[in-house]
Amino acid sequence: MSAWLDMALNGAPINDSLVSQRQQSLALLRAARWPNRKVEAWKYTPVRALEQIDYSAANQSTAARGVDAVEGLSAIELVLINGVPQAIAGELPAGLQVRALSEGEAIAGELFGSVKPSRHIFGLVNDVLAADGWVIDVAPGVQIETPLRIVYRTTEAAQAHGRVLVRLGDKSRLTVIEQAEGTEPSMSTYFSEFSVGVGAHLEHYRFALQTGAAMSVGGCHVLLAERSELHSTLVGFGSDLSRLDVDVIHGGEFASAKVNAIYLLDGRELFDLHSTIEHACANGTTEENVRGIAGGQSKAVFNGRIHIHRHAQKTLAELNNRNLLLTSGAEINTKPELEIYADDVRCAHGATVAETDKGALYYLQSRGISRSQAQIMLNFGFINELVDAMPNAALAQWLRPQLRARFAQMGDA
Amino acid sequence: MTEQIDKALKREYEAGFVSAIESETFAPGLDEDVIRRISAMKEEPEWMLDWRLKAYHSWREMEEPEWAHVDYEKIDYQAISYYSAPKSMKDKPKSLDEVDPELLRTYEKLGIPLIEQQMLAGVAVDAVFDSVSVVTTFREKLAEAGVIFCPISEAVHKHPELVKKYLGSVVPPKDNFFAALNCAVFTDGSFVYIPKGTRCPMELSTYFRINEQNTGQFERTLIIADEGSHVSYLEGCTAPQRDENQLHAAVVELVALDDAQIKYSTVQNWYPGDEEGRGGIYNFVTKRGIAHHRAKISWTQVETGSAVTWKYPSCILKGDDSVGEFYSVALTRAKQQADTGTKMIHLGKNTRSTIISKGISAGRSNNSYRGLVRMNPGAEGARNFTQCDSLLIGDQCGAHTFPYVESRNASAIVEHEATTSKVSDDQMFLCRQRGLDPEKAVSMIVNGFCKEVFKELPMEFAVEAGKLLEISLEGSVG
Repeated sequence: MSAWLDMALNGAPINDSLVSQRQQSLALLRAARWPNRKVEAWKYTPVRALEQIDYSAANQSTAARGVDAVEGLSAIELVLINGVPQAIAGELPAGLQVRALSEGEAIAGELFGSVKPSRHIFGLVNDVLAADGWVIDVAPGVQIETPLRIVYRTTEAAQAHGRVLVRLGDKSRLTVIEQAEGTEPSMSTYFSEFSVGVGAHLEHYRFALQTGAAMSVGGCHVLLAERSELHSTLVGFGSDLSRLDVDVIHGGEFASAKVNAIYLLDGRELFDLHSTIEHACANGTTEENVRGIAGGQSKAVFNGRIHIHRHAQKTLAELNNRNLLLTSGAEINTKPELEIYADDVRCAHGATVAETDKGALYYLQSRGISRSQAQIMLNFGFINELVDAMPNAALAQWLRPQLRARFAQMGDA
Repeated sequence: MTEQIDKALKREYEAGFVSAIESETFAPGLDEDVIRRISAMKEEPEWMLDWRLKAYHSWREMEEPEWAHVDYEKIDYQAISYYSAPKSMKDKPKSLDEVDPELLRTYEKLGIPLIEQQMLAGVAVDAVFDSVSVVTTFREKLAEAGVIFCPISEAVHKHPELVKKYLGSVVPPKDNFFAALNCAVFTDGSFVYIPKGTRCPMELSTYFRINEQNTGQFERTLIIADEGSHVSYLEGCTAPQRDENQLHAAVVELVALDDAQIKYSTVQNWYPGDEEGRGGIYNFVTKRGIAHHRAKISWTQVETGSAVTWKYPSCILKGDDSVGEFYSVALTRAKQQADTGTKMIHLGKNTRSTIISKGISAGRSNNSYRGLVRMNPGAEGARNFTQCDSLLIGDQCGAHTFPYVESRNASAIVEHEATTSKVSDDQMFLCRQRGLDPEKAVSMIVNGFCKEVFKELPMEFAVEAGKLLEISLEGSVG
């Protein structure tokens, strides 16, 4: 096992209304194999760095710092500082209920662990250690127009665990933006679970933008009921350890999921995205587009699994993963997986890894654009399609300069 | 339609019969003593025995791999007999006329009369009946060209320098669990050496066949193509019907030196077990080739048999400008399970690889493609293209794809694509409208699906492969 884990688990589990679920997870955790090269889900992602840190709960400060607003976006700000919910400013619209996890509402008990599969080892860690977080409930038939923006902030030398549980009632609509960033040395696990009701629509964003020594292992897990819809956009930068597990479970017929993901890595960063789409019911559709760029000596890992269960006939599922490898010091490991047990389905996946098209670079240079500028343009063009596909224009507008700054930095390396 | 499916899936194994030939067989069990006895029976030199014992000791330290997408009862390695030889082999036959007539009849039942093959196909056959090579033909003609084609047990005596240099150089004894076991107990197999600049005058072929009950077959094949040479090698196998699972853990090593070309084709039709999945062969094979500068290694396989298949013919593209190819058709039905694919390890500059894999699943079977494409930092300008297609027939089977892509060189290009579909109602309707019966229609559609692979097979094999698929799939979709 891991010394880090032993230390983290000291005193666990938390004795609250979720204690029985926490105990179960603790037992699973103790029986599980700690990530190493031989554990398939962690084949390319070492977690050794955890053993060198000495961040503890004692370091946690809840000193609130203003959250940078997104220009042009009026959102309901839900802030977790080191996993501790901060006061919500302003009124909530009718039909939307937001509570802290620690308030012990009955709905928390129903949702906690109901969507997230137990195979995620850091998800189990989160089960045991996440004392607080947000519980969000949208009443059936209610369309919440204002996006919810959940900000995960981890302060220097802190170890933080937070949990977000979201329920969308039947035929409701909600936009959730999950945003994690920071460069300070820290370790965090933020996991969110979404139960999307019949005919409901979830617009979802997860920005895993921690860099440097900000280590993070997190997950988003979505259960789709009949005729519900998910539109999710994931953006990741790399850090000493950055891992995101995404699960989309088609738990009802005629559900549709669209998942777009981007990862941009530089320096010695590592980013690992594991996505699993479970088609447990018939007539579902999934479209997943993943684009990645790796420069410097970075390491990108993508594992995209589509699992079509025996009765999930008439499923349409597609996954596309395209990667640009900017330098030979960097590394891209990708594995699109199909596991299919139903015959009347159409599934396809594709993966490519290559460098920037030399012809395109030459063309731009011949038009008087410097090589580094041309590289930035082409990189941007490579992923911009997915940024354009973000339903929220203000958010896309906010993201673009950050990506551009990232590319400029990658060009320097 | 269900009736048709049932009928087609209940097809009996055509090659299922047992030859009544007395065999000399070791008692089940594996220890150092067994290995010493195998080595002694083969009158092997000391170095060979040491090599086997070393492999045996590393095997004991190893664990049986569990990562493959297959499910089978644990094998009791102490319940297997590790040597079996037809008794009439004690005095080796000098020509076909001296071969046990019962043995020859066995081959005839399989549709490969040796004499006919020699005359019609111009193929040299090194037939393996259980564990001892029975007869090797066309030796002289090959000898004229300087080609060495003999049982590996003979090569150990006659060409020890070559065997010592290359045996285990591509698949080392510690490579994996099954390869280590093979190193310790292999009984026989083929050895091929093609001298510099020589084009082998004929296609080389081995016919494998498991016969004795409870004996695992541990074949070892080593093919060395010296600089600028060219060889095409065919391997085909069927096995008689059995109720107990039989283990087959072969190792094939290919060495293609500078500018050499090796084409290795397999049609595999071991006994797949009955409708309930009882019996059938466990086929756990390690096949790997190493390609030096400008060399080319091409694997083509048609896999229709075995209860469980675990097989990844691979290429290590070590030399600059070397080429690796993998063409595969894998068909599973009843309760068969196949986990097969390839590894392309790009080490040299401008290395190229192509992977075309076609998986067909029917009945309650599971068919997985598992592949690895690795571009190492030195693989400047390397290129890979992979295409994996799966066809599902019936709603009780599974088709899976697990492709690993690892790139560490920016100038390398890797492309992978995979699709899964079924024989569509539209395709069937079109064919039937043109007056084809459902069986013919399915056969035609499946043949079209596999065409890219079949065209890579040598003529004789392409015919056999097409026939195999046709029999397997008669009328299984509507």
